[in-house]
Amino acid sequence: MPFVFSTENQKKIKEILKQYETRQAAMLPVLHLAQEQNGYISPDVEETVAEALDLPIVKVREATSFYTLYEKKPCGKTPIRACRNLSCNLLGGDGILDYVKEKLGIDVGESTPDGKFRLDSVECLCACEIAPMMQVGDDYYGFLTKEKVDQILDQYTGKRVGEPDEAAIESPLREPILSKRFRVKDSIKIETYLKGGGYKAAEKALKTMKPEQIVEEVKTSNLRGFGGAGFPAGMKWGFLPKDRKKPVYLAVNADEGEPGTFKDRYILERDPHLLIEGILITCYAIQSHKAYVYIRGEYVQPARILQQAVDEAYSKGVLGKNIFGTGFDLEILIHLGAGAYICGEETALLESLEGKKGFPRLKPPFPAIVGLFQCPTIINNVETLACLPTIVEKGGKFFSDLGCEKNGGTHLYSVSGHVGRPGIYELPMGTSLKDLIFRYAGGIREGRLLKAVVPGGMSAAVLKADEIEVGLDYESLKKVKTMLGSAGIIVMDETVCMVEALLVTARFFAHESCGQCSPCREGTGWYYKVVKRIYEGKGRMEDLDTLLHIASNMAGNTICAFADGAAMPFSSYPVKFREEFVHHIESGRCELKSTQSVFAEG
Amino acid sequence: MPTLTIDGKSITVEPGTNLIQAAEKLGIAIPYYCYHPGLSIAGNCRMCLVKMEKSPKPIIACQTLCQDGMVIDASSEEVGKLREAVLEFLLINHPLDCPVCDQAGECWLQDYYMEYGLYNPKFNEQKVKKHFKAAPIGPNVALDSERCILCSRCVRFTDEISKSHELGIFDRGDHSEIGIYPGKEFDNPYSGNVVDICPVGALTDRDFRFKCRVWYLESADSVCNGCSQGCNIQIHVNKDRPHHAKGERVMRLKPRFNKEVNQWWMCDAGRYGYKFIDRERLLEADWEDLLGQTAGALNAFFEKRGKEAFSVLVSPQLANEELFVAKKFFESLGLRQVALLSPNPPGDEDDFLIKSDKNPNTRGAEAIGFSKISPQKLMEGIEKRTIKGMYAFGQDVEALFNGKNLTDKLELLIFQGSNRNSTVSKAHFVLPSATYAEKEGTFTNHAGRVQRFWKALEPLGASLPDAEILRRLSEKMGKPVAAGTPESIFSALAGAIPAFRGLSYETLGKEGIKI
Repeated sequence: MPFVFSTENQKKIKEILKQYETRQAAMLPVLHLAQEQNGYISPDVEETVAEALDLPIVKVREATSFYTLYEKKPCGKTPIRACRNLSCNLLGGDGILDYVKEKLGIDVGESTPDGKFRLDSVECLCACEIAPMMQVGDDYYGFLTKEKVDQILDQYTGKRVGEPDEAAIESPLREPILSKRFRVKDSIKIETYLKGGGYKAAEKALKTMKPEQIVEEVKTSNLRGFGGAGFPAGMKWGFLPKDRKKPVYLAVNADEGEPGTFKDRYILERDPHLLIEGILITCYAIQSHKAYVYIRGEYVQPARILQQAVDEAYSKGVLGKNIFGTGFDLEILIHLGAGAYICGEETALLESLEGKKGFPRLKPPFPAIVGLFQCPTIINNVETLACLPTIVEKGGKFFSDLGCEKNGGTHLYSVSGHVGRPGIYELPMGTSLKDLIFRYAGGIREGRLLKAVVPGGMSAAVLKADEIEVGLDYESLKKVKTMLGSAGIIVMDETVCMVEALLVTARFFAHESCGQCSPCREGTGWYYKVVKRIYEGKGRMEDLDTLLHIASNMAGNTICAFADGAAMPFSSYPVKFREEFVHHIESGRCELKSTQSVFAEG
Repeated sequence: MPTLTIDGKSITVEPGTNLIQAAEKLGIAIPYYCYHPGLSIAGNCRMCLVKMEKSPKPIIACQTLCQDGMVIDASSEEVGKLREAVLEFLLINHPLDCPVCDQAGECWLQDYYMEYGLYNPKFNEQKVKKHFKAAPIGPNVALDSERCILCSRCVRFTDEISKSHELGIFDRGDHSEIGIYPGKEFDNPYSGNVVDICPVGALTDRDFRFKCRVWYLESADSVCNGCSQGCNIQIHVNKDRPHHAKGERVMRLKPRFNKEVNQWWMCDAGRYGYKFIDRERLLEADWEDLLGQTAGALNAFFEKRGKEAFSVLVSPQLANEELFVAKKFFESLGLRQVALLSPNPPGDEDDFLIKSDKNPNTRGAEAIGFSKISPQKLMEGIEKRTIKGMYAFGQDVEALFNGKNLTDKLELLIFQGSNRNSTVSKAHFVLPSATYAEKEGTFTNHAGRVQRFWKALEPLGASLPDAEILRRLSEKMGKPVAAGTPESIFSALAGAIPAFRGLSYETLGKEGIKI
């Protein structure tokens, strides 16, 4: 039976097509609709989608085979996505997965006979503060125990079971910039936001400031791009061509995916209007009239909350035509990804927005010159944009003074792993890592000793326990040969097997390499296989040199920074914890874990 | 115009020149896989990494356009290490099946490994298993995805050149695979080109696979005779090992770069249209006897029926030189019914390379002074008995006359051609001629470009080049025409025919000149 879109979906597709500049750009949303209707993406579906988008079918297959959220065979209705990444692994995620398998009587990649569930073992869902966690349907469930798994799966009828899990949200600041509404009741509603002075900064910007003035304030503020690279935001905006012949786009990077990071989700879920106001100010500053918000496909609920907030903003006139009566127009479109870490790389994000595989683009030209749909485009991270209202309201200098040299403001530090109180910590830039762990986040759980810290998400080089007296800002961490990255801090105590931690890391990079550049495509897979062999007790001494050989040949030699990010842990674990690797190789077993054979494959 | 330094040598280049091209001008070869001058830049193989002064990271030479003052290191030991590393990555999941790989001998992995590799391999793991092994994906191309290095040249070809969009890269990471949508065929008029541009043994030519090891091949430059585009080609022949391909000599045709005509490409019809060179050939002739009798018959005919009743049909498959000799010969005989007739009906056409005129030299024949005649007019002539004798050059007139038994009505039918057809058995005299691959000459394409082709093979059996047959026949007829080497004939042609004035083999060179 050929697949036919339902009448309702055909209408939706017409609407979707109107929203995008090209037909291909509607690829991901149309595939999401198709999967919702059909349960999975069959060849018939691909054919129908190709027709609807007027594309060669091979382009549809490229997308469906690249993005992991598209199911390619008949499967259970509700996905269970058990996280297997580092923070969850540290807190027993593998055991949870085993329990789910046992309970449902199915393996990873299989569905229950009643068609209710399908089970996947997935890379980081960016909810490390509630590890071990999993996603069931649209919702995240954390702090999982066998009992909790029982409760969720037994009671699941398509809606959330129980209340969302709460982790720590703290800030020593009297008035935090980014997290002040995170615990406020109804914080997502525009009334709440307006009551607290919301959209005043945007009004000030649009009514009293020239776009260039805002750019100058941002430059003064020392606001850095909080997506991971830390590029000065004002400078980035300055790269736009002065002579504008084409429309300018803002692409909001909400494709949070760096393992250990969950800060953007908090803004999306708990203060969406702060982001919208930031987008509005930014678009005015760069004179853009259309912003795309690219949200990772698993963030269904955050996307829903943001969409509600966007709808409210339209109805209150802070989005749409003639905002604040100034004649300035702005449209915001939310675009859901489909499961690919690489789409957080800014040019891969653009490709994905255009309906293609997330292959990072060659640079130059940089997106500010040739970006989305060949037009000048600025790509900014959610948290970066959320700083804009404060910068406009209180001035660039105020913001700059909050942080440290060259690093303005505060930052949402995501802390997970073996700390007493995992969660979100809003602290001034440059706060010491040691303070963050021991003063704010409750130190190491159960009185154990600290062994290692990943300071900036999985792509950062690991630090040993005696290396944590360092400021959490871009320059200080660079000095100790690691990076602040997305400020996802994963803390590991003395019980952690560093071979296993590296194995989880290597598996992640092998799974997420887009496959475009030879060194990264081949290097990540090779590296994973070698670490796995060492982990399984079949290592050889020369493997340690091979690991460093692979890492150094990947770094700096590819189109995007993914390989550089992979190379950081790849070259730091086997060096900083060499004795542990040597022990694994020599003895063929692990002193810390007696059951390394349970390492979850797949 | 930017001036830059590569390996200490200074060069000034046109704006828009990339580092690979600039280096090439200096005689410095920068290795690459994904780069192809006819395709967009992908930059994915990373083989062309070079170092640039003041750049913290190596840069890729294919994407980098030359700028004033650049200082490039393209050959140091450090750069060599980068290449070695890329090769090692490309080879870890590549099978070691060179002994059974058709690409062996012209494989860029082999070549670059010998130049930049030769490392002590460190890979000790299981290779990634991929889906396609020796799988035919279309009528002309086989895919072996484990050999593929994912350079994406073939995908870009189908997106940018053939615009047929059949190929894609599926999955991701080290499981990425080039492929075709299941159930679809890789079948477009230019499909064979992906084999040429595949730098490794992933895409091979089903027609050529396992016919002959490439190191036994010899090559001659030629021009495709399949249509009036005149794509520049190479004819690859196997002369020494006839047992490899049942005695057939031409193993394959490959496009040869000509910016003005076909760039790097050719169509499949042309590419696989070479079989006639070794098959169904007319091979036997005792020339002395045969031409003596032919001359006698011609003279007898002229005496009996007069020259007006004799029709000569020259062919746009003949070279300019041959047409010129034919013109002089038939003029010397006093024949006036000499016209141009295509042996091939008009066919497909597109806006790229394929032309509906399936002959290489219609423009040349017209420039030399021959006018077209229609098969209808000929048929009428035979029916009305105004044509009683005929000299055909390769045209299968019997088939052209569509079973009307008109050839039976001819009192004298001379057929001069290279291959068997239904006219051969009707002809009173059959003069076996050489194919274009077995001789030298020039064709004039649809745009008026006069292009040389070279001899790849000796004429098969007793066959002779058309000009040589005409020269010998003219002697037998007692009206000898001068016909030396093709070059000397061309020089006479250039002197006699205004359109060709000033041209010579030397000025034509490899790329030809437009008249």
